[in-house]
Amino acid sequence: MYKIVHYINQFYAGIGGEDHADVPPAKMAEIPAVSKAFNAAFKGEAEIVATIYCGDSYFAENTDKALNEICEMIKAENPDMVIAGPAFNAGRYGFAAGNVAAAVKAQLGIPTLTGMYEENPGTDYKSKTIIVPTKNSAAGMRDAVAKMAPLALKLAKGEELGPYYVEGYMYTGIRKNLFEEERGAKRAVDMMLKKLAGEPFITEFPMPNFDRVAPNPPVADITKAKIALCTSGGIVPKGNPDHIESSSASHYGKYDIEGVQYLTSETYQTAHGGYDPVYANEDPNRVLPVDVMRDLEREGKIGSLHRYFYATVGNGTAVANAKKFAAEYAQELKADGVDAVILTST
Amino acid sequence: MKLELGLIHVTDVQFGPESKIEGSVVYLNEEEIKKIVLEDETIKSVKLDIARPGESVRITPVKDVVEPRVKVEGRGGVFPGWTHKVDTVGEGKTNVLKGMAVVTTGKIVGFQEGVIDMVGEGAKYTPFSKTVNLVLDIEPVEGLKQHEYEKAVRLANLKVSTAIGELARNITPDEVKVYEHDTIMEGIKKYPDLPRVGYVLMLQSQGLLHDTYVYGVDAKQTLTTMIMPTEIFDGAIVSGNCVSACDKNPTYIHENNPVVEELFAQHGKTLNFVGVIITNENVYLADKMRSSDWSAKLCKYLGLDGVIISQEGFGNPDTDLIMNCKKIEAEGVKTVLITDEYAGQDGASQSLADADVAADAVVTGGNANVVVHLPKLDKVIGHIEYVDTIAGGWSGSLQPDGSIIAELQVITSSTNEQGFGKLSAR
Amino acid sequence: MTIVTNNPDVKSKYEDDHTVVFVEGGYKDVLVKVRDLVHEGHQLLTHPLMGSLKPNETPYRSIAVSAQKGPVDTDSVILISESIETFDKFAKIVRPDRGTNTPERLLADFRLIDLTLISSAVDFH
Repeated sequence: MYKIVHYINQFYAGIGGEDHADVPPAKMAEIPAVSKAFNAAFKGEAEIVATIYCGDSYFAENTDKALNEICEMIKAENPDMVIAGPAFNAGRYGFAAGNVAAAVKAQLGIPTLTGMYEENPGTDYKSKTIIVPTKNSAAGMRDAVAKMAPLALKLAKGEELGPYYVEGYMYTGIRKNLFEEERGAKRAVDMMLKKLAGEPFITEFPMPNFDRVAPNPPVADITKAKIALCTSGGIVPKGNPDHIESSSASHYGKYDIEGVQYLTSETYQTAHGGYDPVYANEDPNRVLPVDVMRDLEREGKIGSLHRYFYATVGNGTAVANAKKFAAEYAQELKADGVDAVILTST
Repeated sequence: MKLELGLIHVTDVQFGPESKIEGSVVYLNEEEIKKIVLEDETIKSVKLDIARPGESVRITPVKDVVEPRVKVEGRGGVFPGWTHKVDTVGEGKTNVLKGMAVVTTGKIVGFQEGVIDMVGEGAKYTPFSKTVNLVLDIEPVEGLKQHEYEKAVRLANLKVSTAIGELARNITPDEVKVYEHDTIMEGIKKYPDLPRVGYVLMLQSQGLLHDTYVYGVDAKQTLTTMIMPTEIFDGAIVSGNCVSACDKNPTYIHENNPVVEELFAQHGKTLNFVGVIITNENVYLADKMRSSDWSAKLCKYLGLDGVIISQEGFGNPDTDLIMNCKKIEAEGVKTVLITDEYAGQDGASQSLADADVAADAVVTGGNANVVVHLPKLDKVIGHIEYVDTIAGGWSGSLQPDGSIIAELQVITSSTNEQGFGKLSAR
Repeated sequence: MTIVTNNPDVKSKYEDDHTVVFVEGGYKDVLVKVRDLVHEGHQLLTHPLMGSLKPNETPYRSIAVSAQKGPVDTDSVILISESIETFDKFAKIVRPDRGTNTPERLLADFRLIDLTLISSAVDFH
């Protein structure tokens, strides 16, 4: 019987949702339902011997410390492999699951596996651990367990996994040689026939993921232009009135800076987790340069600073969400006659 | 244009009193072969050897590999521009000594490359572990310049291969393969409903030890043009390239161009094989622009629906490959690329020096950085001391026990970019 | 045409007819010098990774850029940056007998290959 340790978050541990996301790592006295689902799928060949959980916020804000503690707990169990998640589309859970799986593999040399939705920012770890694509919510649990369990068994047995498109995990980007049935020229002609017929085909070498945006033409006359500030650095009015999350933000805020000459620590702050906020809170202009923009406005070097700025938090926020936010407020900026935007990050 | 390739299956090559072919055995008079090589007064001496599949033999450093052929009907002779006049070839009948090859070795530069193992781990990766190889180990006269030496070795192989091919002139082939290439008009009439597919064949053309010749012309001084696929089978394209053993195209692979063969196999069935465009891989960036512009222009002009693009070499040609791909796709012609990879020994690095989203259909010959351990073999033909200095080898490659630890890139044609082999990567 | 090189044979062949920027250093130093020139507005004329010798094998490199400065050429910027990335990828695999550690007996051959490759561009343009 192979021994497996399972890593999950506070929600699947039955401790609670967002309000309990700050709990530190701990081993569960009894394994929860999600671990039991895996055990059922192992059909006696392997067993989850321990389940370790950690609050997602705790993990995001104390990553190194949490990782050390979790790795120690896992090491003590001496498992054959470790499963983390599945995290579906929960960004911070995905970040934690990917991180734990990658660290356990790298530091302890134990094979690891996690599962999450393809847009989860935790998929950044796919070159460092095996990630199985899942549906985007917990409704896909049964499906996720069915896909993850056989791979977990193989890994526990120390077997080498086949290529990603056969085994069904995400492309890792780590290149491995293999001999094909057909020679390359034949494979190329076969691929050509499929491509011409509009049928699906699998490229043997996926090109690196480009997300390039063609630059707009230059602003014709910057001294007449109305310029807006937008940031993923989390600058918000003091108290964070819209409750923008410190990571994996689900929304953005729009704030009026009419008459504001510069941002002060009394009136603005950052909502962003994952970086030391001291300097941003001390002088929020460091992230959102309202002060400099007002100078330029006065000196006539730009036309004007737009009355509103838009802000969200970039920490672990899904790219798809970030795109959605921008697509929305870009329409407002256009309607307001903004000529150019300065985007700042952290 | 119709070419019949008459294959004579060779099972062995032996030295004997008389050069002749009997059954499936090629007998060679050693002195006759040496005489052909030594006609060139820049060559001081030549040693001959035979390496057979399964023998405990390692050949290194390999310069070129050629398959002996002879034109028995139709215009011209094999290797036009070299051992025959530049008459247009590709039509009629050509006999092929299938199962043997002529391999040249010699110290042209100190870091020369290329390993062919006839048995063991290395044999899995090179196609030339499956041919009976006549090896010419060529030493130049004192003081011969490297480029003259390269040329002498290249010519020696072509001359010897032509002479051996001549032995097959009057032999009835064991097997005949017919390749019929339609003109543009014929193709349209015969196969109005099949997709029109072409082949863009990229030729290495950067300079000394990196050159390719078409009908004797140095490809770096050519514009992108067309060649009939059957001309390639008659040796119209000759390799002068001896750097990057794993992914250069030896003359043998040009003669047996696998993409051309596979497109012929589908011609009239699933596609209409319209033609072959040859384009170079120059160092000068303006040349790259021009050559790839012309590839795209010809693809469009020919009304192609798709092209397969094959590459040769590392780094700089990645740029030509991607330029060809982008420009041809921009003309609405679909592409499939054949390349190989340098993804690092752990496979974690970016494989190509250039990349683009347009390259969405790629076949790979594998990661050339992968480390292989080749066992000690009983006999070495050539110069084992160069294993330390061949591409992909390093000091200590040659182990005290005679085995070799080196990257896959040392092995001749292991990651071939015309898709000659079955190796791939994911 | 301006030729940036660390190969003394390239310098001696071309310094009378072209501007030669001689770099005292390795392959990477030549790439970095070219990057600086490209950022100043020179255009790349030859591919920085010419030749099939990998960046961790040959110690020599020669690259031609335009003699004239113009607006910064984006394609040149991208190509030289990608080439430096590729160099760094190979540089991780250190070879005792290669690259910066090439023994004396091989240096002349590496110089020759570099010279003939750059000549294939320079002599025809």
